[in-house]
Amino acid sequence: MPTITVDGRRLEVPEGSTLLQALDELGLLMNGVDVPHYCWHPKLSVDGSCRLCQVEIEGVPKLQIACDTPVADGMVVHTTSERVQRAREGVMELLLVNHPLDCPICDQAGECKLQDYAVDYGLDHARTREPRRPGRKRVELGPTIVFDEERCILCRRCVRFCREVPETGELVVENRGDRSRITTFPGTPLDNPYSMNVADVCPVGALTTRDFRFKVRVWDLDEVPGLCTGCSKGCNVHVGVARGAVQRYTPRRNDQVNETWICDEGRLSYREIGAPDRITRPAVRDAEGRMQPVSIARAIERAAERIRAAVLREGPAVVAALASPHATNEDLTELRRLLDGIGTATSGAAVVEGEPDGLLLQAERAGNARGARDLGFGDPGLVFEKIRGGGVRVLLVMGRDLLAEPFLGGTDPLASLDAVILLDTHRSALEQVADVVIPGRMLAEKGGSMTNHAGLVQRVPAALEPAFDAHAEGAVLARLRAALELVLPARSEGAA
Amino acid sequence: MGQTAPHVCGYLTERFSDDAFGSFAGYREAGGYETARHALNRMTPEEVIAVVKSSGLQGRGGASFPAGLKWSFMPTDDEGPSYLVCNADESEPGSFKDRLLMERGPHQLLEGLLIAAWAVGAETTFLYVRGEYAEAASVLARAIGEARAKGVLGPRALGSDFGHDVVLVRGAGAYICGEETGLLESLEGKKGQPRRKPPYPAQRGAFGRPTTVNNVETFCHVPHILKNGADWFRGIGTEQSPGTLLFGVSGHVVRPGLYELPLGTRLDEILFEYAGGVPGGRRVKGVIPGGISTPILPAGLLDVRMANEFLRERHTLLGTGGIMVMDETTCMVRVGCIASGFFRDESCGQCTQCREGTGWLDQLLHRLERGDGSDGDLALLGDVADKMEGGTICSFADAAAWPVQGLLRHFGDEFAGHVSARGCPLDQSFAL
Amino acid sequence: MVSTLVAQAPEATVLSDELRAAIDREIARFPEPRGALLAALRLVQDELGCIAPPTARAVAEIFGLHPAEVLEVLSFYNLFHTEPQGRHEVRVCTNLACSLRGARTLLRELEEHLGIRAGQTTPDGRVTLGHEECLGACGYAPMLRIGDRYHEELDGPAARALVDGLP
Repeated sequence: MPTITVDGRRLEVPEGSTLLQALDELGLLMNGVDVPHYCWHPKLSVDGSCRLCQVEIEGVPKLQIACDTPVADGMVVHTTSERVQRAREGVMELLLVNHPLDCPICDQAGECKLQDYAVDYGLDHARTREPRRPGRKRVELGPTIVFDEERCILCRRCVRFCREVPETGELVVENRGDRSRITTFPGTPLDNPYSMNVADVCPVGALTTRDFRFKVRVWDLDEVPGLCTGCSKGCNVHVGVARGAVQRYTPRRNDQVNETWICDEGRLSYREIGAPDRITRPAVRDAEGRMQPVSIARAIERAAERIRAAVLREGPAVVAALASPHATNEDLTELRRLLDGIGTATSGAAVVEGEPDGLLLQAERAGNARGARDLGFGDPGLVFEKIRGGGVRVLLVMGRDLLAEPFLGGTDPLASLDAVILLDTHRSALEQVADVVIPGRMLAEKGGSMTNHAGLVQRVPAALEPAFDAHAEGAVLARLRAALELVLPARSEGAA
Repeated sequence: MGQTAPHVCGYLTERFSDDAFGSFAGYREAGGYETARHALNRMTPEEVIAVVKSSGLQGRGGASFPAGLKWSFMPTDDEGPSYLVCNADESEPGSFKDRLLMERGPHQLLEGLLIAAWAVGAETTFLYVRGEYAEAASVLARAIGEARAKGVLGPRALGSDFGHDVVLVRGAGAYICGEETGLLESLEGKKGQPRRKPPYPAQRGAFGRPTTVNNVETFCHVPHILKNGADWFRGIGTEQSPGTLLFGVSGHVVRPGLYELPLGTRLDEILFEYAGGVPGGRRVKGVIPGGISTPILPAGLLDVRMANEFLRERHTLLGTGGIMVMDETTCMVRVGCIASGFFRDESCGQCTQCREGTGWLDQLLHRLERGDGSDGDLALLGDVADKMEGGTICSFADAAAWPVQGLLRHFGDEFAGHVSARGCPLDQSFAL
Repeated sequence: MVSTLVAQAPEATVLSDELRAAIDREIARFPEPRGALLAALRLVQDELGCIAPPTARAVAEIFGLHPAEVLEVLSFYNLFHTEPQGRHEVRVCTNLACSLRGARTLLRELEEHLGIRAGQTTPDGRVTLGHEECLGACGYAPMLRIGDRYHEELDGPAARALVDGLP
């Protein structure tokens, strides 16, 4: 590996990389070695046009752009020399000549690279008194993205993103010189399953998502690492929390998983957390067949009663469980311990599948399908067979995926059971057949680990507390096990 | 057409007044294509390059890069096709020589192309003609047709084992396509935005293949060099800048037009002896020596020989040899306005300094011209120009900054006068 | 709110067989088809007068490009128009060499004479007047072009006569 010296610091860098790539891979870029940049993005092709990343290389007369300069053994680089600072200042001043400087009303304020770099590398006053170039405001480039032309610095990251990642190419720069502007072709809007990433790659406030625009100021946002649970990819996200609710997901870089991207569906899946159809209260069915709200303790007690009665009457084999592929490994481990404690092995996980898109979206549309399988919750076919054959009396259901085709397709097969104990986050037809309903938590509300399709185990903390009385499924299951152990001490398999 | 031949001819243009010279028959009669026949049949590519190298021929498109050296950059171990590109996108304001070379001597150009193609091993030449040059394109199309019909071009060019064809391509109106990598992008059907270098065209040029790009006039010199020898060529012009150049003289002169003269001819000689001086008994105020990108020279500095080694001492360049003359009535702020307006129009818009800087310079200059300037504006103007220079993908931003720097250097007082007079103090100047 | 969502439906112009054949001949001249894009746009514009979005879409289909890529190219070059022009395009060179010899005064005169500003078309659709950067005729200034043809060493009366003579 070549060795280079950057600001007096000797670094071993990957062969064949550019200076910016090397600094990025070493984790030093803007984190120890500051080389500001706009057009360069670690996951897009080199453009070399913003000219901000100029550095001084000993032996080379002109400043060079770090994004397009390959490393060479013995290279000596200066990123803080006066020449470099002057060049940056020059580029920053020119970038701001036509910028509206409307930070107070700009949605990007607080996470704007123009704002940041202007403070760090720019002049402290504007020297232009020319009228600023007017541009189109609030252009709907497509169903998801709004464009403010005046704020655009023409770094063309969005153009390259559309060409290189979803390969849809809706965005182009039309015209030339200072009339250049980002646009779409009439009648062919920016509309692809990854469109909202353009708002993330945009270093300024030119591209914003319709979803997040003006919802909340970013400095009021608490950003907590999280995972998207929409499919088994396990894309890393920042969970943006404000006013006790998740306001957005933005992709969190993980080069092993999702690089810097997330699909639009996954990004918007944060809405499930604050959705109106969340199950918010524990409930049990009364003698008249109506659901009655109860305390969590009472709900667990009822569940324990149902399981205990069935086991005492017909043995543990009549208790079955369907694990949720959306639950964490911790939740599922508790479920496994519970089932082991009862002495039944009848379990599985229903994982809804769809078409993978070749980019991020995986066929399995659940965040922890692999984790569930690894913990022994595999094909649910045997469970369904046993239900249909009358071999199950009590069914513990986590999640509602079993309602989908090609699984049960509905609740009818469950109607004849003694009891369905439902542990879930969102309302569904399962409530109609359930004897006990206990609200669960979404990943962002409890934290924990999930195993992605490739076997990578990723752990994230909780980002917020739900506004209602819901408990992590694992905790509920542990309490249920405790309740059962009171009456079924040391019960082992086959003891019935 | 304004002229069928230059006011003063040299070896390039001596037969241009003869209409027949533009036809295949007429060109053959004048001995045309014999040099190419000799080169293709009796010389190796290395020998051709050696002659062109030792002739000292420099590119005539503005950058004055040694042509033979450029040709030698082509890889010799490459298996696939490689290309020659003729840059006929003449667009530098003040420059109008290539148009005449194409319209009046198309076969001379084709012969130069054929010899160069042999030297660099190119299977095809793309002749990229400026979109507005309809007449030149039609003359060249006819000449290419004749050359194919007569076996000059084709699978056995001039009876040799070398197969070659020339493909005529027309631009669509963009100055930046005169920059060689902007031209290559345009040739590939894209916006003419210059490429980052490296890779250089000799490594990855047109359609990803090794490519040599030269200007029309550069190729036109080649048959004469091969025919008469490198020493003959070196005997014309200066030691460092041999050969003739087709100087274009325009603006406030009695006899505007083209003059084929040896490099190193004195600027004041061209202006006063050849072009008849300034009309109406007025005095000259300034001269742009090599197209609008090159910094202006004031009246006192015109005793300079027209070759880079001398012009550089006066902070300017030969460029394309497009000499623009301004008399004493001329407002130099307006000259700046026209230059900046041009560069603002024509910037491709990729690099920050160029896209934003050309517009800012243009606004500043127009404000000064209107009488809206302030004392700080002159320093700001110079500073913006300095910030644009040297940091972009191609040299367009430099070319936009140089004229402003030149005007400030020599006519700073006049610029300051526009501030103090709150407008243009020159009432006889050309209109903006 | 400027919305592209409700813009016209994606409709492509049907190009004539002759035009298609001419474009195919251009494509055959290049190592890669896309090299012929500028030539194709020129052919299409010569035939249809301008390259409106449905036409750009048709060209994009021929070249297998996203229509936005065609838009990007055609908006970069001066000689392509997305909107109809007058029957005659009169463009006065206003760069330095021509301006030193009165080109801008000449353009003002033509504006007055035609009753339109540079960039506009006469109401009868006869003439589109415009200015242009250097056309490479600096020694024969001032000059203008009408369509493809250059007219050099002009003065006001000569320019007016030229324009008046246009059918």
